[in-house]
Amino acid sequence: MGQLRLLIQVAFRNLFASRINLLIGAIIFFGTLLVVVGGGLVDSVDTAMSRSIIGSIAGHLQVYSDHSKDELGLFGQMGGEPDLAAVDDFSVIKPLLEKHPNVKTVVPMGTSGAMVTSGNTVDLLLARLRELYRQRVDHGETPELREQLDSLKGHVRHIVTLLESDLANKDTLLSDGALEPADEEAIAKARSDAFWAGFEQDPFSALEFLENRIAPLLPDGTMLYLRYAGTDLESFQKSFDRMELVDGQPVPPGKRGMLLSKFFYEEFLKLKTARRLDLIKRERDINKKRIAEDPEMQRWVKENTQQLREFALQLDPLKTKLAIERLQNHLGTKEPNLEKLLASFFATTDDNFDARYATFYKDLAPLLELYRLRLGDSLTITAFTRTGYVQSVNVRIYGTYQFKGLEESQLAGGLNLMDLMTFRDLYGYLTPDRKAEIAEIQKKSGVTAVARENAEDALFGSSAAPLVADATPGLLNDKEGMDGMGHLRREDLAERVYNQQELEKGMVLSAAVILKDPSKLKETMAELQQSAKDANLPLRVVSWQQAAGIIGQFVMMAKMVLAIAVLIIFVVALVIINNAMMMATLQRVREIGTMRAIGAQRSLVLNMVLVETLVLGLVFGAAGALLGSGLIAMWGHAGIPAGNPTLYFFFSGPRLHPTLSLGILAAAFVIVLVVSALSTLYPAFLAARVSPLRAMQTDE
Amino acid sequence: MSLSKLLSAAVVAAALLSARAASALDTPAMTKMLQVIDDRQRNGGDYKALVYLEQKEKDKTDVAREAWVYRRDADDKLMILFSKPKGEAGKGYLRLDKNLWSYDPNVGKWERRTERERIAGTDSRRADFDESRLAEEFEPSDKGEETLGKYKVHHLILKAKANIDVAYPLVELWIDVESGNILKRQEFALSGRLMRTLYYPTWRKLFSESKNADVWFPDQIRIYDEVEKANSTVIAIKSVDLHSLEANLFTKAWLESKSR
Repeated sequence: MGQLRLLIQVAFRNLFASRINLLIGAIIFFGTLLVVVGGGLVDSVDTAMSRSIIGSIAGHLQVYSDHSKDELGLFGQMGGEPDLAAVDDFSVIKPLLEKHPNVKTVVPMGTSGAMVTSGNTVDLLLARLRELYRQRVDHGETPELREQLDSLKGHVRHIVTLLESDLANKDTLLSDGALEPADEEAIAKARSDAFWAGFEQDPFSALEFLENRIAPLLPDGTMLYLRYAGTDLESFQKSFDRMELVDGQPVPPGKRGMLLSKFFYEEFLKLKTARRLDLIKRERDINKKRIAEDPEMQRWVKENTQQLREFALQLDPLKTKLAIERLQNHLGTKEPNLEKLLASFFATTDDNFDARYATFYKDLAPLLELYRLRLGDSLTITAFTRTGYVQSVNVRIYGTYQFKGLEESQLAGGLNLMDLMTFRDLYGYLTPDRKAEIAEIQKKSGVTAVARENAEDALFGSSAAPLVADATPGLLNDKEGMDGMGHLRREDLAERVYNQQELEKGMVLSAAVILKDPSKLKETMAELQQSAKDANLPLRVVSWQQAAGIIGQFVMMAKMVLAIAVLIIFVVALVIINNAMMMATLQRVREIGTMRAIGAQRSLVLNMVLVETLVLGLVFGAAGALLGSGLIAMWGHAGIPAGNPTLYFFFSGPRLHPTLSLGILAAAFVIVLVVSALSTLYPAFLAARVSPLRAMQTDE
Repeated sequence: MSLSKLLSAAVVAAALLSARAASALDTPAMTKMLQVIDDRQRNGGDYKALVYLEQKEKDKTDVAREAWVYRRDADDKLMILFSKPKGEAGKGYLRLDKNLWSYDPNVGKWERRTERERIAGTDSRRADFDESRLAEEFEPSDKGEETLGKYKVHHLILKAKANIDVAYPLVELWIDVESGNILKRQEFALSGRLMRTLYYPTWRKLFSESKNADVWFPDQIRIYDEVEKANSTVIAIKSVDLHSLEANLFTKAWLESKSR
């Protein structure tokens, strides 16, 4: 014990005695700092991200069919959605999973995506007009209906005027610039008083003329990729505590409907001009950026001054007049042209931005449809189903939702929520009835399969049928088949209320499992897997991390990168410390020889060198750990800003507040001590072998 | 190389070239060939056909549909109306002027589609069902005579004319020398990538009173997707009726009324 105290004293005395010690100290210092800070950050991101993933969609565990070709990826995968086999009946797996004492709830799920297309402004107006005229045919005309019809007709007529003036100005905003004489004739006809005077006599023919000849002259409408999760919306909202409704109302229990993600609604369905104004405001208010200095904000301002067509087409003649008056008042000008006024209004600077932003929402927004789709409206979704049929459904949008803390995250915000019944329709699950129906059609068609590889030989080879044959003449009866089912179905579906049994008895792609005690995740996972096997159900049980696909692997990758960096640093440290200690030992041959001459044992010399390096490691390691802990504490208090929205998801909010666990500190110290001890073994062994005689000789 | 060898090589080359020229067709002859194909399929009056569509796709079960195809060639109008299976009944396509409209009674909406639209999600395109307009839409060039199975065929290369909207700008045709019918067709994207291969194993003819001549139609069109190699579609034209159709059939209102 006394010897140890002596050795420690010697070690402290020698701590700053040589530059070599300072070099070794610096390496240990930075190594420890890296382990503490890096480990703390990665650990905190892991915790934050697990909160994001578990609380938003995955739950603690996910269960899906073992027949699936791909692995589950709730956030999609490269090249689209993973190829999962359906779990045929959720009502079979739910009780099995709920039987486990650690399972709190089981939520049915399925994710998929579809394109949503919409015609251009004229297409949409004409579709609305067609719908109103259909209503008139079915239920007769009312004064309200008349007013709506006239207003829409006025709007279409106004757009035709705009089109004509564009044509006169040789403007190129038309779909492909050059117009054929037939198109010019069509515009002239649509502009004529005679056309509008005769409109009411045969509105459907007039509409077909506008739909086929005028609407295609405008640029195409938009196409949007909509990613959605079908689920039991009521159970979802109860089980995922981060989910909150923003606007509108929840989908009533048992009804078909959708909640759009607020982020998606703002980003893709809001009038682009308004969206850009919002983005500029966010950058100014939250990130304290200035238009004068930020190129992206300058780009938004420029786009707002140039892309005015969408804005102008939305206004009918009355609203155009109002907009002109309001803009003239605000800008203090007499300019009569709306587009010039708008361009000047949207040329915002840091000085006038706030005032114009307020004016936009107060004076202009009430004249516009700010969103392409209003809450309460129906959205038509067209999906390529699993069976190959294209399926379209109308689904009512009840409101928007967001995940708390992930408001600006594109990853979390890309997912919209839908009821299970609509999801199943779009998935196109093949029931035995439908399979039989297809087999019947195939039988009637009489088509036999011909493989591509030998098609030419089979069709035109020596044994092929003759090339020309006579057809049988006769009358074909096409009067049967379509019995008005489409219309009835459409009316039915929107109003129908499904009971819990109907919701649960049907296919799902996966089930989210929320646990009572998440710390027992691994055990529960194994036990659920076993009980599925026992019940003879082909199911895969995976953790939230696996279920999240590439995103779930992100932290694992970050941890690996950190571990490799630490490993490299400490291997280098090991070599450097080893060499440095060798040099230090050689420099101290006289000292060691003298010590040996006056009776110091080899073991004392060995221990002395070892203890010196360990003390060096402990002191500089402690300093590194202290600084690292200080940094983490400081960031933990102030938070590290996510900066770009992609990081919101990994930070579980706009800022990451990192914390440090004792485990990481302990790991840092263990690594430092092991590396120090290992790198000193050989120099210490050399030192112990120094003989007093040789020390004296060297000195001479 | 000696002068005599060079001369003999030139003579052989000239002989080969002249042999090639003997079997080559000039442009009017090729255009005439296309006109014959177009004209045979065109009816002066209306056209109605009962059609089956079968689609095979990778990792999916087979899909089959029954549909009615209506044409009024004089006005360039076309309608495809699906009747089976139940879930597909009432869906349809309507070509008016240059617009191809798609209608789905489940949602009650019309959407304008492009020439490249995969009809009902299969490998077929609008032009496979419509009147043939090869001479009007393409400029032909000749690749000489070949054999396809046991048949002698003319191999033509067709390039779409300027300002004509077709699904694919490059088409190669293999036309039976004896009967003048198309046996094989390949379609290429502008980049030269092969997109579809089509075979027409049998052609049928039916006497038309309005035309006072035969109207020809393929018994089957076998379409192989060249991008997704595992996908293929067969269009089987079961029967054709050349009697007059209702006057207002080619309207949105008529197609809507089928499912109301």
